[in-house]
Amino acid sequence: MSRRAEGLAALGRIATPTLIGLAGVILLAFPLRLGGGYVPTPVLPLVVVFFWTIYAPSYLPAASVFLIGLAQDFLSGGPLGLWPAVYLVTQYLVDSQRSYFLGREQRVVWIGFAFAATGAAIVLWLVMSLMTRTLLPLGGIALQMATTITVFPFFSAAFRRLHRRVLREA
Amino acid sequence: MEILGQDRREGLGRKAESRAVLVTMIVASFILLLSSLYSAEASVFRKARESVIDAAEPVLSLIAGPIAYIQGVVGEVSDYFNVLEQNKALRAENAELRQWMEEALALRKTLAQYEALKAFHAPPGARPINASVIGDSNDAFTHAMLVNAGAPDGVMRGQAVIDDKGLVGRIVETGRAASRILLLTDAQSRVPVFIEDANVEGILVGRTNARPSISFTLSAGPANFQKGQRVLTSGAGGVVPRGIPVGEIVEERDGEAVVDLYADYARARLVRIIDHKFPTVEPIEAAPAEPTDRRQDGAAVLPSSVASLPALPPAPAPAPAEGAEDEPAQPEPSAVDEGD
Repeated sequence: MSRRAEGLAALGRIATPTLIGLAGVILLAFPLRLGGGYVPTPVLPLVVVFFWTIYAPSYLPAASVFLIGLAQDFLSGGPLGLWPAVYLVTQYLVDSQRSYFLGREQRVVWIGFAFAATGAAIVLWLVMSLMTRTLLPLGGIALQMATTITVFPFFSAAFRRLHRRVLREA
Repeated sequence: MEILGQDRREGLGRKAESRAVLVTMIVASFILLLSSLYSAEASVFRKARESVIDAAEPVLSLIAGPIAYIQGVVGEVSDYFNVLEQNKALRAENAELRQWMEEALALRKTLAQYEALKAFHAPPGARPINASVIGDSNDAFTHAMLVNAGAPDGVMRGQAVIDDKGLVGRIVETGRAASRILLLTDAQSRVPVFIEDANVEGILVGRTNARPSISFTLSAGPANFQKGQRVLTSGAGGVVPRGIPVGEIVEERDGEAVVDLYADYARARLVRIIDHKFPTVEPIEAAPAEPTDRRQDGAAVLPSSVASLPALPPAPAPAPAEGAEDEPAQPEPSAVDEGD
């Protein structure tokens, strides 16, 4: 392999988590309408942020998280800066607990994700309630975070495999 | 001091550096949030939003094909299992619709007779723009849809969007290839409506849940409405045309009427954007030669009553009309000049 191709491959490996996050954003913007519109699309970027912040933070720098959040704001039509704030606060909190999660069983990490998702939901609800100056209903965000927590183990397992076999090799 | 120095050496390490970047980014996103809050209509943000939805349009359209195919197959399989029930329901609906058709035909005849009369002025027609839904906001607190029609197709901000059942929302952003619809359930959504049989007007306010509610102005007094009454757009404010079905009242909560929407957000795949031109009153040029005509012409009085509407060009102030009424025989040219 030439040096240039190696460089490109390395760049691809480094950029993969960011690209998966952006794909999650596209998926959120897509009218999937699971279960006749009753099941909200899971917030996949939150799983991406949580996973790589714990297992390989150098693959997902704060700037990437900011970019993912901003893309989501642009596509959802909400206020700019909302999702970057949510994801970055999540990254900060998860990063502070990183040493606890490393090497733990997946069940424990799953519970940790449930806490992180709840925290993210609270930040979202607080900001949006302040912005609209009303106490917004919690049902929608609770359901969406519940969906995200439910799918977390599947995506976490897939990301672990991807990280071990593809991103870390070489 | 030594401990402080050690801390400092550690503080310059890579980890602390990335932590500092992270905190800076958090602060930056909150600043962005605040600035977008206070200048949501700023042209920079608008331009950026419109170019992003334009850029996303091909990607969303590309994945729409295979997913629509899968959903179609799944839908067909589930249809197969309840085909008997559906057939029964459709037969009942067909019988009901036949009755409606008879009534509609009779009404059409009557209407044609009325329209033949000289006194009738038909409202300006609306040109529909068909578009398919390529994006949902899928966000608990932001309710919007993206459609694949943009400014070149004639889509403009403020236009009403309907599906086959009723009002879906209004256009808030238009790019070149895609536009964004703010749904009636979004917390930012405000649409003037009226309740058909109760004869009350109000504003339909989104509550981020499935059912928006009508809030009434205080000056309107206690509103008398009942469960099951139809809610239609009122056309007040000159943005959304009058008479588009919105939904039905299901209950009263805190003095507001909770509305069950006709539009089905989970099924809306094709929507129709209504390009509706409101009858506007042309600003009448000051014609000093025949100022008395202005007073007699009914249109000259109209602008004062609709002057508050945002869409209208600057209308003549009521001053000239009043002045003309005071002195009908000798209207002063100066009064006309003041009006412009």
